[in-house]
Amino acid sequence: MINALRWIVFAIAALAMNFPIIVTLVTSFKSARELSSNAGLWINQPTLANYARVLTQTDRFNIYSYLLNSTIAAVLGTGLAILLCLPAAYAIARSDVGRRVMLPLVINLRAVPLIIFAIPLYMMYQWLGLLDTQIGLGLILTIVNIPLALVMLVNAINDVPLELDEAARIDGASSFQAMVRVITPVIRPALITAFIFGFITAWNEFLFGLMLTTNKAVPMTVGASFFFAASGGGVQWGVASAVMALGALPPALLGLLMYRQISGSMTAGAVKG
Amino acid sequence: MAIVSRAEGRAYLVPLIGFLLLFLGFPALVNLIYSISTVGFQNLRSPTITGFGNYLAVLQDRSFWKATSFSFTFGLITAIAECGIGLFLAIFLAPLLAKRSVLMAPLMLPLMVAPAMIGLMYRLVLHEFAGPVPYYLFLWFGDSPAFLDVNNAFKTLLVVETLQWTPFAFLLFYVAYSAIPLDVREAASLDGASAWRILWLIDLPLMTPTLVIAFFIRFIDGFRVFDNVYALTGSGAGGSTTSLSIYIYQAFFKDGLIGKAVAASVVLFIASLAVLYGLNWLAGRRRKAA
Repeated sequence: MINALRWIVFAIAALAMNFPIIVTLVTSFKSARELSSNAGLWINQPTLANYARVLTQTDRFNIYSYLLNSTIAAVLGTGLAILLCLPAAYAIARSDVGRRVMLPLVINLRAVPLIIFAIPLYMMYQWLGLLDTQIGLGLILTIVNIPLALVMLVNAINDVPLELDEAARIDGASSFQAMVRVITPVIRPALITAFIFGFITAWNEFLFGLMLTTNKAVPMTVGASFFFAASGGGVQWGVASAVMALGALPPALLGLLMYRQISGSMTAGAVKG
Repeated sequence: MAIVSRAEGRAYLVPLIGFLLLFLGFPALVNLIYSISTVGFQNLRSPTITGFGNYLAVLQDRSFWKATSFSFTFGLITAIAECGIGLFLAIFLAPLLAKRSVLMAPLMLPLMVAPAMIGLMYRLVLHEFAGPVPYYLFLWFGDSPAFLDVNNAFKTLLVVETLQWTPFAFLLFYVAYSAIPLDVREAASLDGASAWRILWLIDLPLMTPTLVIAFFIRFIDGFRVFDNVYALTGSGAGGSTTSLSIYIYQAFFKDGLIGKAVAASVVLFIASLAVLYGLNWLAGRRRKAA
């Protein structure tokens, strides 16, 4: 009896939370004609025409370029964040430096509204010629990713037994060699989780994409909104839905594949912060 | 004793600190200088320091206070709603989820989709002609409210934000709830405690740290909201949905008021720091009390 109630609550919650995603998917398979007569959640004649249009008519809005920009900037931003955080995490976990001041300071960054830094960064980018470049966007996404990457890596290294480093040091390895040759392979699962989680975060970032790109380096989150401002005849909902579905797909797929690891790391980052 | 020497440890921290100084420290400094200067796009590199006029302008701007109050109310209400619903779902659904962990996937999916995308998606969901919500409301009740006009936009955004981020609170609570050792509950149950008493006297007290942290994370994230509000309403609806982040964005990009935008940034920065340090202080006191 109470179990049936649980199923009902689960179904309602899952439906309500995912409602915009469901609607978008359904709409993306509706023809323009059907859309004008049927805004409901069923489709009489499903069609792939919207996807075909998005993927072939790229003269005005090039979805490939948005997808590519998002991918490059997210990979760059996540990779760099991990590269910067790995030695820092090693130092925090294995020496007396950084644990008391550095770590909480960086964790707190997660809570600071990034718009605060956006205006001077915009000017800095203008001077450096980094506006509207994939590298420029990637560098900012690094900032977005650093807090969680650092927490995840510190936690991962803390879980590695000290004996492993000690053995390596006794065998004559420097601390740097111990970090690269011993610790890094052991925490590979954490590195992969940190990378995927960072990739999702970076892919989904909007504010800096909106501010720091205009044309060449526009990421998917910003590019998708262009399809709403399109042509004077109002929004073409089928096409716009197909764009949103394609833009939401990469992080959603990654997240679903990794949801167990991600839920673990997400809570680790939040609760220990 | 530490296995890595202090000197080496410091060296390992250098790349990260350098990067942070360049991308956050330098901008923070620029903010401070610009906020006390008269600055336009012509004299960006040589601003003349003129005093606190920008701060005065911001603090006397009614839309600044309107945005502040939007951000505060928005953060508070959504944090309460998200944590309340999340807690209920975590505890009520726990027996179901413990056996079938694949059920977690649909409950986590909204967290994987960009808030900006969710904002765009709701433009479709709520659209007068193309959206299913007005469609069914018309079909069943013959009427549908204008979800995004001045009167309703705020409420609509509250629901949108809550639906996207309740999964986050739920996830934290579910993990915390699952981590409570079963034997504690069994012992209480053997002593004759009812399910309610176990919940009130054992589960909730043990989950309190997570509850506090989840609430503050959700409050702060709601307070600085930008993406989904901007994508859904573009702060429209008569400025009724301008958050502080959007206020700063617009002062700079739309109105070109650099000094004002920067001064507002500094005010927001100080406010965030105050909240953060207040929180840390509270957490420290809790730890000592415990």
